[in-house]
Amino acid sequence: MLFLQLLVDGLQLGALYALMAVGFAMIFGSTRIFHYAHGTTYVIVGYLFYYLAERLHVPWWLAAIAAAAAGVVFGVLLDRWMYRPIQRDEGSFFTVFVASFGIGVVVENIIIILFGASFVSISTPLTRAADVGGGIVVSYLGMFSVLVALLLFAFLNWFLAKTDVGVALRALSENPELVRGFGLNPRRLSQYAFAIGSLLVAPAALVATCVTGLTPTAGHRVVLISIAASIIGGIGSLRGAGLGGLILGLAESLAIWKLSTGWSEAVAFVILFCFILARPSGLFGTRARV
Amino acid sequence: MFGYILNLLILVSISGILAGSLNFIIGYAGIYSMAHAAFFGIAAYTGALVALHVSTSLLVAIPLAMLLCALLSLVISLPSLRVRGEYFVVASLGLQMIAFTVFSEWKSVTGGLGGITGIPIATLFGFPLRSLEAFLAVSLGCLAFVTAVIYLLARTSFGRNLKAIRDNEVAAAAFGKNPTAIKTIAVAISSALCGIAGVLYAFHVSFVNPETFTVDQSVLIMAMIIIGGTGTVFGPILGALIIHLLPAGLTYLTFLPARELASLQQIIYGAAMVLLMIYRPSGLIGRANIKDTWSK
Repeated sequence: MLFLQLLVDGLQLGALYALMAVGFAMIFGSTRIFHYAHGTTYVIVGYLFYYLAERLHVPWWLAAIAAAAAGVVFGVLLDRWMYRPIQRDEGSFFTVFVASFGIGVVVENIIIILFGASFVSISTPLTRAADVGGGIVVSYLGMFSVLVALLLFAFLNWFLAKTDVGVALRALSENPELVRGFGLNPRRLSQYAFAIGSLLVAPAALVATCVTGLTPTAGHRVVLISIAASIIGGIGSLRGAGLGGLILGLAESLAIWKLSTGWSEAVAFVILFCFILARPSGLFGTRARV
Repeated sequence: MFGYILNLLILVSISGILAGSLNFIIGYAGIYSMAHAAFFGIAAYTGALVALHVSTSLLVAIPLAMLLCALLSLVISLPSLRVRGEYFVVASLGLQMIAFTVFSEWKSVTGGLGGITGIPIATLFGFPLRSLEAFLAVSLGCLAFVTAVIYLLARTSFGRNLKAIRDNEVAAAAFGKNPTAIKTIAVAISSALCGIAGVLYAFHVSFVNPETFTVDQSVLIMAMIIIGGTGTVFGPILGALIIHLLPAGLTYLTFLPARELASLQQIIYGAAMVLLMIYRPSGLIGRANIKDTWSK
């Protein structure tokens, strides 16, 4: 019974991880920018939502939309004002990583000054759990997060397959030179990638803020999980990243079956380590990409 | 006041050892490990446990910690042989997270979040290092030793092999060099040297807990190298000095709210990382030509 409950919890957690991971994979896959500040987007969305909904008592849907929009703006501006100047000088991945980490540190500490270092959470009627039979409880919010993840992935699938921008983004991840030769501007496209990637992490931030609460330093874990899931799934494959997120969520939840909660935090990284040693190209990646 | 300066200098020399040993693999081998604080922690816990249960002599604790760090460094060198660039950074960050979990959850050995307290005073050749002056002298001696080792290694054929592998692994292998062995040894040396810093730290503050050995600490060490300049011998020491003087200097600006001081300091160094990467990615005393330093 505990196993089934953990499985259900793991699915919910996995849906959130999948959203974060696909967002990261979207950005990294098409722009090759090692966007460590992906976790910072998550923290910004979460705290803005908390501030609007809990402190200013803005209706929750309005607060959620405003917070998600702020996340998208943050992602796009970061691309324009930070990554672009660095890449102009042909900066290496490490230059990008350090700058991205730096912005994360700045935002994290601004939030500590504004809201304090301790953890915040939002109480909503949706966090209440429903018994779905056999003693298994599922919160409405958990069902909601799985549903949102499925909807967003369906939308993303349609977007990448049917729209011009979507096709161009896929082309950018395959062959940037060809995209340039075709007369498309990779810079413009990278903004779309950042907008979509940041939008995907927003629902994860909103749900997680209600379910588990939020701390200013949560971003590290978020981005590391996202990257770990992308690597496990295979860099360049959005489906892989989603599946990787699901696997990590399930593994983390099921680990509680045998381990204490403290240890379960490390499970995702142990899995990542095994993948890097045994199969660095991931589940769906091609060897040549690594 | 004098004690405060001595304290600061001891911390600077410990950080100098950390930054120098990390720079050895980042700057010369191109292995961007973000798990250096994990080895710092392993050594500090080793030092603390040795001091409490075996001997307070630095000549016992330091070699033991170095040996353990060198052995455990395999967890860094194995992934570094498999993947490069971003992938390795992530693998090392993951290891750093695992290490933190072990420090805080393996309660029977590490004392959990409370850590290990009451570490006795260090001794050297039977003399207790009671005064800060004596401990500073030992720390500076260790820093000089580590710097000299790195300086000499970089100039031997081993150092040249490392740089060759960093710049072009395939070409180096074609010249009969063994990248696997060379990388593994380099990482082991770096981790062992880092071990010295861990033991000194444990004895200096006489208390270790997991909070010191987080991802943030790893980044702080990396920031020292970046600010000072990678691949230079004295850059990391300069970086360590700057990173430690910044908070010390901030405390003199009395108009700043004392409660937010730690956050302000983090904001300044975060912003410095961003601006340096945009305008001067090679660091303060690195080569002016960016491509020479990073693009490899």
